[in-house]
Amino acid sequence: MFDFLTYLLTIGGIYAIMALGLNIQAGYGGLLNFGHIAFAGIGAYATGIAHARGWPVPAGMALGMALATALGWCIGRLGRRLAADYWGIATLAVAEILRTVALNEDWLTGGANGISAIPGLFENQPRPWNELLFMALVLGLVALLAWLSARLGDGRFGRAIRLMREQPQLAACMGYDLQSLKTRTVMSGAAVTALAGSLYALQMNFAGPEFLLAAETFVLWTMLMVGGIGRTAGVLLGVVLLQAVHAFVPFAKDMLGFDSDRAGALRLGMIGLILLACLLLRREGLLPEKLRASA
Amino acid sequence: MLQFFIDTLLRTTDLALIALGLSMLYGLVKFPNVAHVQYAMCGAFLAYAGHSAGAPLAAALALASALTGLITLALQRLVFKRLLQGGPAIAMIGSLAIAMLLVAGVQGIAGSFPRMFSLPSMDPVVIGAARITPVQLGFCATTMALLLSFVGLLFRTRAGRAMRALASNPMLAEACGLDAQRITYAVTFISGAVAGLGGAMLALSTGAHINLGYDLLLPVFAAAILGGLGNPVGAVAGALLIALTETIVTHLDFGPLVGQELRFLPVAYIGAASFLILLLTLLFKPHGLFGAEVRRV
Repeated sequence: MFDFLTYLLTIGGIYAIMALGLNIQAGYGGLLNFGHIAFAGIGAYATGIAHARGWPVPAGMALGMALATALGWCIGRLGRRLAADYWGIATLAVAEILRTVALNEDWLTGGANGISAIPGLFENQPRPWNELLFMALVLGLVALLAWLSARLGDGRFGRAIRLMREQPQLAACMGYDLQSLKTRTVMSGAAVTALAGSLYALQMNFAGPEFLLAAETFVLWTMLMVGGIGRTAGVLLGVVLLQAVHAFVPFAKDMLGFDSDRAGALRLGMIGLILLACLLLRREGLLPEKLRASA
Repeated sequence: MLQFFIDTLLRTTDLALIALGLSMLYGLVKFPNVAHVQYAMCGAFLAYAGHSAGAPLAAALALASALTGLITLALQRLVFKRLLQGGPAIAMIGSLAIAMLLVAGVQGIAGSFPRMFSLPSMDPVVIGAARITPVQLGFCATTMALLLSFVGLLFRTRAGRAMRALASNPMLAEACGLDAQRITYAVTFISGAVAGLGGAMLALSTGAHINLGYDLLLPVFAAAILGGLGNPVGAVAGALLIALTETIVTHLDFGPLVGQELRFLPVAYIGAASFLILLLTLLFKPHGLFGAEVRRV
């Protein structure tokens, strides 16, 4: 039970970092990114590949963040002329292309088997302590990034991208370069998410194509929409609620005697249902974003 | 060479009906419905259920198509109509939720194991050097007939003119006395029914499985976007283009380029090829190849 709790908190913390990354783009910037998980996948794979080449773990994490930021630049540039919905589909396509590559380039990514035996960060510590230390690291990072992200949202940059979301023409009139704003928004979200991807690979000791499934992006979107998109506390609340659902499914599976097909369906269905109920009943989420009437 | 054309044609028929419905509905409701490809998956399972319950194949297909249309209509009335009040972004995220629910529902009932139709085995028809199964031939003919009758409906009848008017300028169309609500519902039903039929016919050869909709998501969206969302005829052209690329990629021999006897791209990259075309198109033509100019009535 104790192990299960540490695991739950660690994974929850990692999802929280990914959700914070998505919130910078979708919450503050209003960008419909449906391929967000690609950034986390890059972080995970970079860590794994760097380890397989004998590099130290921090180098792999840094490489992942750099690659994800570069991809963020490309995707942001793609948004230069696209309408929001076209861009959303394009991001989904980018993530799928990456997954196809990861699945087929065995020499680099291990194909469908992925890269296993990635060491955890605190391998040399005795048994319960290594996991506790890693959990403390993740939760510390969540706190730090949540604080930074809230500051970012209230600062000059955050106000500029919110203005871009609400009144793009006004923002352009005020001399903001919308293209550069969009690109920087995607890039900063990408870097944060790649970090979470690295942590995920270290926690699971594994990086594989499952890290890049589109369904994971939709889980992140649900966290944002349920908790309150555009507000840091809301995002964290959404993560807690969704993780509670995830943790509940194995128990429900045992209680109801479901096979793993049904359990997978139950998990997917509950996420879908929560997302839909939230969109229909409380569109701005449980903790709505506070917009100042006049800046 | 003939086989090449037939392969392209078959893949086009896979995509065309579903892309057509998606594009047609986009013209009226103005958001890309991600759940649309899951209607095809529902159609496949409904047809399987009907056929294994003893209905003849044609009846099972027709029933599945009609039921999928009704599901689509119900979702439009109960869910999307309310979501659209929050804007297209909310509706698009909502369609993600609907897609998850549909997949979860079918997986919960039917499981993740593919269901193959038990069809009597038939010899393939041989045309020149090419082969095609009778099922595929029927699929092709049905799709062609549907596409032609749809184009006829759209450009030759009053109802078609009303649909085009509503898509290009909803306010003006309503001011001229068109019943926007009724037309939208009619188009919703048709697009769902057509997607369901497309999915059911696809499942005749590949079996009904829960990833059917998901596998179609990107090629269908690529086709609809290439054709310019909201332009149904463009969507069919887009489907043809995607099918052509995929077939070329599988048939192309890179051997001479790298100095080897024979070298083909891995089959798994076929999908990536169509997404790449999509990205390239969007880079240079942000509203698709046939976007802006066909929007006029």
